[in-house]
Amino acid sequence: MMDKSIKELHELLINKKVTSDELVKEALQKSHEVEDKYNAFVTILDDAKGTMVTDNLLSGIPYGIKDNYSTKGILTTGSSNTLKDYIPFFTATAVENLEKCGAVPVNKTALDEFGMGGTGTTCHTGDVLNPWNKKRMCGGSSAGSACAVASGVYPYALGSDTGDSIRKPAAYCGIVGYKPTYGLISRYGLFPFASSLDHCGVLTRCVEDAAIVVDAMKGKDAKDLTSFDSSNMHLYNSLNGNVKGKKLFYIKEIVDSSNYANIDPLLKEHLDNYFKTLDNLKVLGVSIEEVSIDKTLLQAIPSVYVCLSCAEATSNMSNLTGIIFGPRGNGNNVMEMIKDHRTKGFSPLIKRRFVIGSYILQKENQEKYFVNAQRVRRLIVDKMKELFAKYDGLILPVGTGPAPYIDGSVNHISNNDTSIIEEHLQIGNFGGFPSITIPNGFINDLPVGINITGNCYDDENILNIAYALEGTMNYKGQVAKENNNE
Amino acid sequence: MSKFTKEMVDSYADKLLIGLTEEENKLVLNEFDIIDQNMELITKIPNISNVPPMTHTLDDFTYELRNDECTPSISIEDALANSDSTEGRQIKVPNVVEVTKQ
Amino acid sequence: MSKYKAVIGLEMHCELKSNAKVFSPAKNGYSEIPNSNISEIDMAFPGILPTINKESVRSAIMASLVLNCQVPEYLYFDRKNYYYPDLPKGYQITQMHDPIGTNGKILIDMDNYTKEVLIHDIHLEEDSASLDHYIDASLIDYNRAGVPLLELVTEPCFNNASEAVTFLEYMRLVYKYLGISDADTKMGQVRCDVNVSIMEENAKELGTKVEIKNVNSFQNVKDAINYEIKRQTELKDLGRYEEVEQETRRFDEESGTTIRMRSKVDAIDYKYFVEPNIPKYKISEEWINEIKQNIPILPRDRKQKYLDTYNLSEYDANIIVKNKEYADYFEECLNLGMDAKISANYLIVNIIAYLNKYNMELKDFYLQPKYLKQIIDELSKGNISSKQAKEIFTKSLEEHKEPKEFLKDNNQISDIDELTNIIDTILSNNVEQITLYKNGRTNIFDYFVGQVMKETRGKANPTLVKEILTDKLNKAE
Repeated sequence: MMDKSIKELHELLINKKVTSDELVKEALQKSHEVEDKYNAFVTILDDAKGTMVTDNLLSGIPYGIKDNYSTKGILTTGSSNTLKDYIPFFTATAVENLEKCGAVPVNKTALDEFGMGGTGTTCHTGDVLNPWNKKRMCGGSSAGSACAVASGVYPYALGSDTGDSIRKPAAYCGIVGYKPTYGLISRYGLFPFASSLDHCGVLTRCVEDAAIVVDAMKGKDAKDLTSFDSSNMHLYNSLNGNVKGKKLFYIKEIVDSSNYANIDPLLKEHLDNYFKTLDNLKVLGVSIEEVSIDKTLLQAIPSVYVCLSCAEATSNMSNLTGIIFGPRGNGNNVMEMIKDHRTKGFSPLIKRRFVIGSYILQKENQEKYFVNAQRVRRLIVDKMKELFAKYDGLILPVGTGPAPYIDGSVNHISNNDTSIIEEHLQIGNFGGFPSITIPNGFINDLPVGINITGNCYDDENILNIAYALEGTMNYKGQVAKENNNE
Repeated sequence: MSKFTKEMVDSYADKLLIGLTEEENKLVLNEFDIIDQNMELITKIPNISNVPPMTHTLDDFTYELRNDECTPSISIEDALANSDSTEGRQIKVPNVVEVTKQ
Repeated sequence: MSKYKAVIGLEMHCELKSNAKVFSPAKNGYSEIPNSNISEIDMAFPGILPTINKESVRSAIMASLVLNCQVPEYLYFDRKNYYYPDLPKGYQITQMHDPIGTNGKILIDMDNYTKEVLIHDIHLEEDSASLDHYIDASLIDYNRAGVPLLELVTEPCFNNASEAVTFLEYMRLVYKYLGISDADTKMGQVRCDVNVSIMEENAKELGTKVEIKNVNSFQNVKDAINYEIKRQTELKDLGRYEEVEQETRRFDEESGTTIRMRSKVDAIDYKYFVEPNIPKYKISEEWINEIKQNIPILPRDRKQKYLDTYNLSEYDANIIVKNKEYADYFEECLNLGMDAKISANYLIVNIIAYLNKYNMELKDFYLQPKYLKQIIDELSKGNISSKQAKEIFTKSLEEHKEPKEFLKDNNQISDIDELTNIIDTILSNNVEQITLYKNGRTNIFDYFVGQVMKETRGKANPTLVKEILTDKLNKAE
């Protein structure tokens, strides 16, 4: 039952073919199965009860919450030992908005510690395994959410996205991941990683569900100055599949095979598969053009991201001292206590990012790295906005192919020629652009994704294009089928 | 020859009140040169000194300031519930006057 | 006196008045009960975001305008990052890149000259939590965390402690006039950092700057500056000026000395960067103009008005403007059309003495200007004597009754016709006495006055009685 879409479940509920309690029970049971197999959750809310079914599409339907959304009375850890026992007394606005719809949270999903990772292997509860193949990662940081949605625990789970943390795991798990325009959804109650890049969003199995959920999550929040009024934006209602005359572009320096010397056959297949999908859009009347962008600028993207995200993160996580919340550290004085708390609480990988952030923000480096990164960010965003004035959106493949193996993943910062294709989704965070990943078939029996990114506030348009494209393929609503034969 | 040393890495971490084990230090040190080189990519973009730094995600964003009205205090139970060391209505830390005097 | 020139700069932190805090909607107010005015934002629970109190920004802009500073086109904030248990977020939201005011100046009056004080900047930020220290522990009170704080930074433009303290006192008064702060030093609402260096009278380069942090009273500011000048001068005289280091010191009240905290080498790198959670806010011209229109006349300008328009003495004017309550009281007297000099005199001699005697505030004083007017007007018309006025003043205060109640009893007969009638009757009954008076017995005059007073039971206006009597007696045959 839980492999169905929100609309299907709503129909069943309204027609009393199933009760909310039954759905919740099934979702909880599935949660335990998925936890045993893939280690996707921090907390399973076994006490969850069904809610009254109303006209609201989300009423009575179970869902999952990434464990970096503050939830009142429910353990919220950010998948970090620094907050391993933290129970908030207030709920994130986005979650509150879903609560008002009658949506039922059934678990808190694991993530790379505070969202600072792209593998799903730095959670304090251990690695999250890919439901298509347990040797593979889910990607991160919304690993548990992607895993659970792909496994059919429920139709949707909340994610957050600072670099590609919704959109990449969605690709690796063969589902939909949508990060709307910055400020569409309030960040109040979302544990911050890098405030100028952090976005709330959702992982689902179809574009319609993504639209329905974000319609419910969004809205101006007096507690978040960066949120805006979107009462005239109706994501779900604007899905009509009519995309005739729409114009998309792709970036030659990212997808042209000629950019890659001795191209990996898998990457070649991934790119060929991507170009084949573009043909589907052309059949629908969408024109797609190749655009060339200065490679120096593109190559700087991952570095700009590292600079800004690590720097902001060091500051955002300075409240983790073990004084007001979190386990109190040992020491002879308060500074030693704080240091002990942080030294023990953070995992080695997050510490590495902190060291980088600290280095970048040093007085003598700030202008050179941090401020220049902010300048390059503007150049990249200006370039994109210039293109968005001509095109409805940018369409690109996600990553270099399917999910990598967990073993041997170092979650590290590389400087090879695939770094741009691996990291280009960060553009969406730089500009606060709406960006959605949908499944784009399989390579070696593992799912891969395709991404569409558009201009700020143009969420309706971007979702509609994704919706139309989804309709040309057979991956809508797909649930992971485990195969470990490799 | 790396431009970074073990001590430098430790001092960057220490400024954030984070201690590194030998292993963690090594992990960072091993790739710090790559990180630094990557960062240099930023400085390779020509003529950027006149570009205004992008400090906020959305430009031309408008909003209202909050009216001067206060809301009730959170409860003392909520405020203290997650702290491992409290006394009365307050969170307790070792005497900090000594720390300042160091 | 030192043979060197001292160069002093000030940083003045002052808590602003408002209902709510600057970055959270918790109450901005002192409480004896720890952690009773707090929100999750003040304590930096994970996931919180700041919002901005409009009133705090308004107050800051007003101060900026008064200091003749430039107000930026956009308001935004920076994070100042450091770790301390009184700073829950691990950073303070403040303004470093684009403060609410820059490059200002303001005039202050010294005893016999006027000093122009140069303002480097003025910026809005949040206060930290307060720590209560006990022998083996410190307890944290977050009531103060997030309280709006205005930090004013001067150029190093003072040459002695007296100038510095005069400036601080004046600014404190200005903030009170603006109504943006109670600026109560006893409540810790004003805290100062002071930097001091000395140099040869004609030297071009400034000497080594020593900063003294967190001085919490103006007396201490004075003592700290004087001590520091003395310390640096002595070292310079001894040829050991290199021992004066660029460092941060603190003032020790007990010994009256400054004590080293840390040298410049150990200076904290605050890693300032723009607060991304607060988008740039356009400060409109309309808003600035509206704020401008609400700026009251400041103490220095009021004083000038009292001197020029109302001919008060410098001494009296100073007493009145140095306390906003006094000045407001006096302004109201002027607005009610009361005699300026008499009102000022009453305020300074009688009212202030009364307040001091009963340790009372002017706002609680019974005789508000509208009541005082009843006395002053009669007095200035000569309808009552100053002795009578004083009596009514006292009675009115004792019984909390309007002065006019007592004026009735005291009602003088000032009606010339009525007095003339009475006098005519008395004169016609005392023909002999008139003759005696005419023959040189001038003391008979007092006899007539006495008769009039007896007849009117003392209520006749003595001045008028004398005038009419003189006139009548002169005319009498």
